[in-house]
Amino acid sequence: MKNKITILTGHFGSGKTEIAINLAFQERMVHSKVAINDLDIINPYYRSRDIENEFIKHDIELIAPKGHLAMADLPIVSGEIYRVLHDPSYRIIIDAGGDKDGATALGQYYNEWKHMKPEMLFVLNGNRPYVSTVEGAMETIERIEEAARLKVTGIINNTNIGTETTVEEIEKGLLLAEKISRNTSIPLVYSTISDQLKNETVEFAKVNPVVYIQRYMRLPWETFI
Amino acid sequence: MVKVLMKGNEVIAEAAVHAGCKYFFGYPITPQSELVAYMAKRLPEVGGLFLQAESEIAAINMVYGAAGTGVRVMTSSSSPGFSLKQEGISFLVGSELPAVICNIVRGGPGLGNIQPAQSDYFQVTKGGGHGDYHIPVLAPASLQEIVDLTQDAFDIADRYRTPVIIMGDGMLGQMMEPVEFYEAKPKEVPKKDWATTGTRGDGGPKIITSLELNAESLEKHNHHLQAKFKQIKENEVRFEAYETEDADYILVAFGTVARIAMNAIRKARQEGIKVGLIRPISLWPFPEKPFIDTRDKVKSYITVEMSAGQMIEDVRLAVNGHAPVDFFGRTGGVVPTQEEIYHKIISVAGGVEV
Repeated sequence: MKNKITILTGHFGSGKTEIAINLAFQERMVHSKVAINDLDIINPYYRSRDIENEFIKHDIELIAPKGHLAMADLPIVSGEIYRVLHDPSYRIIIDAGGDKDGATALGQYYNEWKHMKPEMLFVLNGNRPYVSTVEGAMETIERIEEAARLKVTGIINNTNIGTETTVEEIEKGLLLAEKISRNTSIPLVYSTISDQLKNETVEFAKVNPVVYIQRYMRLPWETFI
Repeated sequence: MVKVLMKGNEVIAEAAVHAGCKYFFGYPITPQSELVAYMAKRLPEVGGLFLQAESEIAAINMVYGAAGTGVRVMTSSSSPGFSLKQEGISFLVGSELPAVICNIVRGGPGLGNIQPAQSDYFQVTKGGGHGDYHIPVLAPASLQEIVDLTQDAFDIADRYRTPVIIMGDGMLGQMMEPVEFYEAKPKEVPKKDWATTGTRGDGGPKIITSLELNAESLEKHNHHLQAKFKQIKENEVRFEAYETEDADYILVAFGTVARIAMNAIRKARQEGIKVGLIRPISLWPFPEKPFIDTRDKVKSYITVEMSAGQMIEDVRLAVNGHAPVDFFGRTGGVVPTQEEIYHKIISVAGGVEV
């Protein structure tokens, strides 16, 4: 049986939120009850809660500070999480904030979910500062594990360089992720690639596990009128 | 060099390090805290010093102290925190000390919110603190441009012995784009023989102060400052003009708003409306030339801002009554959309011909 809870962690700006959103949509196709919990207490920009309407449209439950608190610059999380944690019919995606500071918000739930064996995925973008080396990434993983009081169970290679991503970039990230995986014994689960690059990555996807993702956090000039 | 994917705030910090800035004094505030956090980690790696001050006021005065020794130094904040720095900024100008100050603007007035805004335009271009002064203000529109302008900011600061402001909005600070850093050719900057690093029996004491009790002497100092501002106005104007040659209508926007305006302009051009864009990159000195060159040819200018209309005053001064100046703005952290800007163009142009 698949894990009930999947937690997305990683370096600040590694792509956790985009992957969490995509995962929630994917899971909704096979589960009737999916909740995405926005635990980002680090950064008030580009969070899952920004696309609340998309979740409503797809009948996915968004757990996040609501109303005027949604945009507050306060380290708050919603107590609603307890309701879904103890309801066995839910599939739960947790979108944590970046780095160890973001993972601190996870630590408080240790006693709630330890017996549920949550899957905790580390999202790696090898083009971000401080996680572009094996040592840097391993240190980040260790710090996150300490703060979250959980072990990372899988690594996602989300190496990209925004709209300028090439197959070479993804392969470079894969190499880095494989090295980290060997050194930490944490399995590499898959690479996430923008669906804009489907054609260019046909060969890559034949030999590597790939999950294609859509981007939801867009800048105001990125959609063309 | 390889490209990296970074947030705007991180880019400002890394670009400052590339420009030789080894000292940062600051206090975190959303939406620019990543800049402070990045510096905390980065500066010790290059043998520099990061210090989180007890307040913005403390930070700007630490900058004053460090700048007095002739080192490249920086602080950053966001609107309410930037307001707190005004006294220190005025002191820096009066004492002629080079420093770079970054303001990642959020919705105001007051505490406002943490969403993007440009409503500190008046504050950064018209003085901000007390006394007769101007500060060069650079407003990047992309993360790559931050790299160039941060280098420029430090060079201008040293060349004219003045604080320089880098202004962006919360969106610019938080968004991610690929950037490439490069080792800039060292620019010719004057030797800092005024720095208070101790005398070695080789001359009189060096004094850095903004205090001058004698009225005639202070007026003389003010004349000197004004002459410097005039020189900056002549040498440090930066702007970008896009399809203004044949334009009947010209949009005026800076920073991220200029990028939002671009697609609206393209769409209007497809509909047969000749629209161009003037993007001031230096907000002070304000680029007057592109307006002087176009003001007798265009039917109208439209300034677009994330404010209730501030830059529009400088646009009107530059246009000097030669053409009407229209306005579209959103405030309080609301970002104007491409559609809104497009509809504004259509309404000013009197509709699309069908």
